[in-house]
Amino acid sequence: MTAAEQYGTAAGLIERSAAAFVAGVPEDPADDGFFGPASVTWKMSSDIAGPVAGLRSLMVQALHPLAMAGVDQHSDWRRDPVGRLAATSTYVTTVSFGERAAAERVSERVRRIHEHVRGTDPETGRPYAASDPALLLWVHAALVESSLTVGRLFGMPLSPQDSDRYVAEMVVAAELVGVPTELVPSSVAELDSYIASVRPELRCTLAARESMAYLLDPPGLDEDIAEIWQDVRYAAVAALPEWAREMYGYDVPPPTPTRREEVRQVLGILDAVYLGEPGVLEARQRIATRMRTASAPTARRA
Amino acid sequence: MKPHRGKIVAAALIGVAGVVGAVVLRRQIGRLTAPAAGRHAVAPAARLRLRRGLAAIQLVARGGARYATNAPRLFALAGEHRQRLRNDLALQTAEDVTTTLGTMKGVLMKLGQMASYVDDGLSPAVRRTLSRLQDSVPPMSPDLAAQVVREELGRPPEEAFARWDPEPIAAASIGQVHRAITLDGRAVAVKVQYPGIAETITADLGNVALLRRMLRITAPSQDVDALLAELRERIVEELDYRREADNQRLFASYFDGHPTITVPKIIDELSTRRVVTSELSDGTRFGEFTEWAQDERDLAAETIFRFVFRSLYELRAFNGDPHPGNYLFHGAGKVTFLDFGLVKHFTDTELQPLMQMARYLCVDHDPEAFRKNLEKAGFLRPDAPLSTDEVIEHMAVFYDTVRESRPMTMTGDYSSAVVRRFFDVRSPVTTYAQIPRSYVILQRINLGMFGLLGELTATANWRAIAEEIWPFVLGPASTPMGESEAGWLARRPAVRSWEF
Repeated sequence: MTAAEQYGTAAGLIERSAAAFVAGVPEDPADDGFFGPASVTWKMSSDIAGPVAGLRSLMVQALHPLAMAGVDQHSDWRRDPVGRLAATSTYVTTVSFGERAAAERVSERVRRIHEHVRGTDPETGRPYAASDPALLLWVHAALVESSLTVGRLFGMPLSPQDSDRYVAEMVVAAELVGVPTELVPSSVAELDSYIASVRPELRCTLAARESMAYLLDPPGLDEDIAEIWQDVRYAAVAALPEWAREMYGYDVPPPTPTRREEVRQVLGILDAVYLGEPGVLEARQRIATRMRTASAPTARRA
Repeated sequence: MKPHRGKIVAAALIGVAGVVGAVVLRRQIGRLTAPAAGRHAVAPAARLRLRRGLAAIQLVARGGARYATNAPRLFALAGEHRQRLRNDLALQTAEDVTTTLGTMKGVLMKLGQMASYVDDGLSPAVRRTLSRLQDSVPPMSPDLAAQVVREELGRPPEEAFARWDPEPIAAASIGQVHRAITLDGRAVAVKVQYPGIAETITADLGNVALLRRMLRITAPSQDVDALLAELRERIVEELDYRREADNQRLFASYFDGHPTITVPKIIDELSTRRVVTSELSDGTRFGEFTEWAQDERDLAAETIFRFVFRSLYELRAFNGDPHPGNYLFHGAGKVTFLDFGLVKHFTDTELQPLMQMARYLCVDHDPEAFRKNLEKAGFLRPDAPLSTDEVIEHMAVFYDTVRESRPMTMTGDYSSAVVRRFFDVRSPVTTYAQIPRSYVILQRINLGMFGLLGELTATANWRAIAEEIWPFVLGPASTPMGESEAGWLARRPAVRSWEF
């Protein structure tokens, strides 16, 4: 029961998430996928604050006891935490940048896996099923809202119009995993009110506390990455809504402009390290080239 | 008890001091040339050290060399596909520049460039990272480059020059080089700086707390701040091309008429803070030159050696950017020296002890006087409880090539070996070593110049050449090149002499 010794280390976090990213960006795509190079989603995905958004998003998602119980009881994250993150990373990248067929294929796979994820949350005593649209929607909304908030605080802030566009674009990602379209928020206002509506159900269960404690201070990171991770962790926690921080019992000083700049600098360094992984530069260039072409519709070259 | 980085760096730098007055070559050439695997196998000490570093500094330390080699590469050489890709991704606005090189990336590139001569790390991963970082910076679009020229020279390039090639011919670390023909018909190279890059890098360098963490030096804070201040100052200087132009003028004027050394002249009226224009030089690049016959390589090495030590002792200046891209070779020992972006000027007070060290160790054979000067320069704590024999034992390696007058061959991994020697944390001397701020840059001699000479596997009687240049010897010409140099020296105005 005590999970301490079951934990795998986080060694290879950078290498494996980089490989996951590279694998998700097609080389010669048949179509632009569900978002495309002119989308806000692609723009968001190239921000250096991505790791913070990812971590913050996991922290928010984990506060739903049933979503957390599903992960806790069915996922092998303790044994292979990095592999688990890399799998999510591949999934998100493929849905964002992959061809439609590829995005549908990985989503179909996720839906199939979810069929078997059922059980009872020990703390609330409530039964859950991973295919329950309510849980899927929570996970989706936490991701979208985290990207927006972290972008605003530590990354490239979006205009209100682009924020709405981003939320609307992302609806399809929720549909792909099986949430009925009409349930999915399609504007920032809808997103916020949806999240507010779920709040009474949220709580920090033992499983959430344990898994987040691991993520915030993963053992086995290379020493230099561990140093960088301190800032990623700070930024993720600082970007949480007040109520979420209270549930976890975390207390961090709010980001002053100086602190924000320092976090961005550290994220720049992390980004440079990431860039050193095989294929990452090429994958980014594939994306950037397509975005360039999309933003300048008159072809610059015949 | 782990050794900390500050001391290790200090130790490495101590070695440099020796090199300044002397040419270095391990006596046991076999050990240097022996196993190619040696480079990786040496590691225990190095690995320990690198473990302790943070990504950023590992990155700069270990990636630097590779980056430096690649930096000036012609875009076209990278293959047509890449050329097209780079054009597709060209930086079109100052904002693009900030996105690409902001949030420390420009600083990392600069630090990497510097560290490549201060440290010699081994991790292929980090080497790749830095090289990739460099690759990730596309050139400016023709319009953006033209905009910078317009802002700096007051006219668009088509008016400022008789002919302007909108396609850059080379990448500079924070800019790019265009070919042009001046209105009065001279072929020139125009280096154009990325707009906004100076501001971006200066702002990022302002975060001392972060730099401290990155370098993660646990040495007494005074040392860290001095080291940081030196790094920052050098980098900020490089951001102002006027500085570079001044330095290049200084070197060009000093070496004017030299039989084998050429420094392209600066075109004053076309040089500003972000644009520097100099005569266009043509010649063989280092990579290709290493395929030339050995006698040609020996001569070129002799020229480089003379250039470095004449600059140091007579101009009291050292070009701290001796990477392979900064040389063009013409045969018969003739070499053109490019890029004076990172020149360190020394005061006589700073140079004196270095000179005396060489003198007492190699010429006068007075170990105690040698040690006294080592301490005077600040390389060794005066109270170090070490015997002078121990100190000499530790330092002598740096003077091996000039302690005896006989031909010696520089070998491939020589400079790494010298640096490696001083990463030897088991040495008792390391504990008492310090880094005097002014000498930080001199480590570049180890990893820059000697690295190059090693790649050329150059043979010469380095001691005899050093004697020609050493102000405390001023020996007779020892080679044909020395003789023609003597003629040049006789014709040129005397430089400020040294007092002993």
